[in-house]
Amino acid sequence: MGVLTEGELRYLQEKLGRPANEVEQDIVGAEWSEHCSYKSSKKYLRLLPTKGKRVLVGPGYDAGVLDVGDGYVLTVHIESHNHPSAVEPFGGAATGVGGVIRDIMSMGTRPIAVFDALRFAPIEGKSKQAQKSRWLFKNVVKGIADYGNCIGIPTVGGEIEFDPSFEDYCLVDVASIGAGKKEEVISNRAEVGDFLVLAGGSTGRDGIHGASFASKALEAENRSAVQIPDPFLEKLLLEATMEAVRQGCVKAIKDLGGGGLSCCLSETSDSLGRGFDVELLKVRAREAGMTPNELMISESQERMLFVTDAQKLPELQSILDKYEIGYSVLGKAEGHENLTVRHAGKVVADMPSSLVAHAPLADRASKRPAYLDRLKKARQPRPANLGRALLSLLSNPTIAGKSWVYQQYDHEVGVRTVVKPGAGDAAVMRLDNGKFVAAKLDGNSKHCYLDPYQGTLGCLSEGVRNVVCTGAEPIGVVDHLQFGSPEDPEIFWTFAQAVNAIVDYCNFMEMPVVGGKVSFYNETAKGAIKPSPVMGTLGLIDDKKWITRPALGHGDTIFIVGETRPEMGGSEYYEYVHGITGGPVPQVDLATDRANGAAVMKLIRNGLVTCAHDCSKGGLAVALAEMAVAGKTGFKVEMDKAPSTCKRADELLFSESHSRYIVGTSKPAEVEQLLKS
Amino acid sequence: MAQKFLVQVIIENKPYINDPEGETIHRDLVVKGGYSQVKSVRAAKMLKMTVNANSEKDAEKTVQKLCEELRIFNPVVSNCTVKASKA
Repeated sequence: MGVLTEGELRYLQEKLGRPANEVEQDIVGAEWSEHCSYKSSKKYLRLLPTKGKRVLVGPGYDAGVLDVGDGYVLTVHIESHNHPSAVEPFGGAATGVGGVIRDIMSMGTRPIAVFDALRFAPIEGKSKQAQKSRWLFKNVVKGIADYGNCIGIPTVGGEIEFDPSFEDYCLVDVASIGAGKKEEVISNRAEVGDFLVLAGGSTGRDGIHGASFASKALEAENRSAVQIPDPFLEKLLLEATMEAVRQGCVKAIKDLGGGGLSCCLSETSDSLGRGFDVELLKVRAREAGMTPNELMISESQERMLFVTDAQKLPELQSILDKYEIGYSVLGKAEGHENLTVRHAGKVVADMPSSLVAHAPLADRASKRPAYLDRLKKARQPRPANLGRALLSLLSNPTIAGKSWVYQQYDHEVGVRTVVKPGAGDAAVMRLDNGKFVAAKLDGNSKHCYLDPYQGTLGCLSEGVRNVVCTGAEPIGVVDHLQFGSPEDPEIFWTFAQAVNAIVDYCNFMEMPVVGGKVSFYNETAKGAIKPSPVMGTLGLIDDKKWITRPALGHGDTIFIVGETRPEMGGSEYYEYVHGITGGPVPQVDLATDRANGAAVMKLIRNGLVTCAHDCSKGGLAVALAEMAVAGKTGFKVEMDKAPSTCKRADELLFSESHSRYIVGTSKPAEVEQLLKS
Repeated sequence: MAQKFLVQVIIENKPYINDPEGETIHRDLVVKGGYSQVKSVRAAKMLKMTVNANSEKDAEKTVQKLCEELRIFNPVVSNCTVKASKA
């Protein structure tokens, strides 16, 4: 089905020095899809700062690995399953969780938590659109809950945003963190003669062309890539993998995701620097008569590739047998550098792995979208009744409590969850070395639409504020960049702006990017989604007594750190209350952002505050209300005392200016003194 | 004249889509229980509805429509068969 462009096919055949057969074209087509090859984004992603004192493995592998001290590591990865979830929300979301969990397992670490960032069209009202959104929302949440709960990994945090640009569509981002011992992290190597073992689910016709499906805009006719989750099999695979890692039975692991065996084999062969020779008749096919093409590009779920040597193979086999996991030895690592695929002994594809694994990069034109200037100025709304506006914001699904969602998730299994969903700015999980990790996902499509650069800075700033409020020091981020078609110069420009923002922010804060993913072609017949980068921020807490929550205590004195400015563009007050899209978006001043974060961290770590909360969607008024609700108390504040350049009361209350924190304390004099210094 | 009809709705994964529930029943219960002559198991969901309608055809039409409209099944994943008989 001609997934390669004419230019790509020409390039492939030039490099091969001969025509590529159909199987080869399908293998390369899967691997060179945008989803697997990053052909539009790679040039930009190379600019990201990926090194840091804690970074052991950066982006490019299945998961990033951070050193958390005492011989322990933390792994992290983020992925999306937008296209599959838009057509089959339950299965799409569930298999998304399965995929990200396998990425964590591939590093030899045990997944300890799952996070989800979800975006839907508005769900309120009786319109057909709202009904469709509710159906997507309900089933996506059910899919995530079902998978995580079955497998025994807690889903502990995330965020949800509703915006009309997601009509008939949804963004389902799932992230996972894992923990393990430094010495057990898979080093990914292979010697000539090592065995390639494919374990887990059988290979069927499901998910054929899934990766190239995800690299196309969503149209009715290509809704064939549906995958059915099997969490129990994944649980078996998880336990078997952990046991094999502990026993030293595996030299390399790779999860099978988008692009199936094509991507898995070519990328593994290329990164290990060994050729592979595999026999497709060994693949455990679910149906009779599957062609070599189908076997190579099937995206059947719950499959892993293990590399092991002759000495350890029997031990790996006995572990897989014990867990009743099906497996087969596909072939061996060879001295050459090719991916050689056989079917009943006959070579059906034979290409250099590095050629397959490195698609020719695409040069995408980029052009500043015209709408940006048009939306810079927006009509100013007549000041609303402030009390009513606040109530409206608090019942806005984007801001309102999300207990309907997280109550469906088992968020305690594994007994590591210290700060639970709804109880903190970020989830806090206990690690084996006595430290704690704080993690949060943040996105803001409304800000990013009006100003992709400042909007993305804002997502990063919010992530940092969220983990700082729990008492953590930020140690790394993962990014998930979601846009429409990169072939549209205006959309590609917004992507480049988002990457620039991450580069600038992370360089300034000396915060490494340890992993990420790019998802393009998020479009329906109605057009592209708003630019939707989602940032996952990780923080480390050394001492349990630093862990802080936002619940306001009775009798606390309330401080606000940071200045409120009339930056109303993309605010929930403009968009949700008044239906206005446009206006100046909150700007992040990097130096101020760093100084305010450092000050709040110092307050927390000196034991001066009882609670802390970041000020973001809905502004100051919403943040204060959330703290009061969490603390089951009322509050009285003098709004005139908040540092501000706003002239209107509604702007002061609802502006979403960045770098602002609210803290409560029983030691106001000491807090004042520290903040002054 | 409206009559009562019993309508059976069977919702099952499309044949080429896998079915972990059926596979597990087959592998862990049926085959391990000694019935190796059983070659496969597919799981499905069945709803029984009692419907007032003029004919079997009418009853089936109503139920088919409601299954699609109310998203009782997802046509991307599942097949839905509707069969009416006199109650």
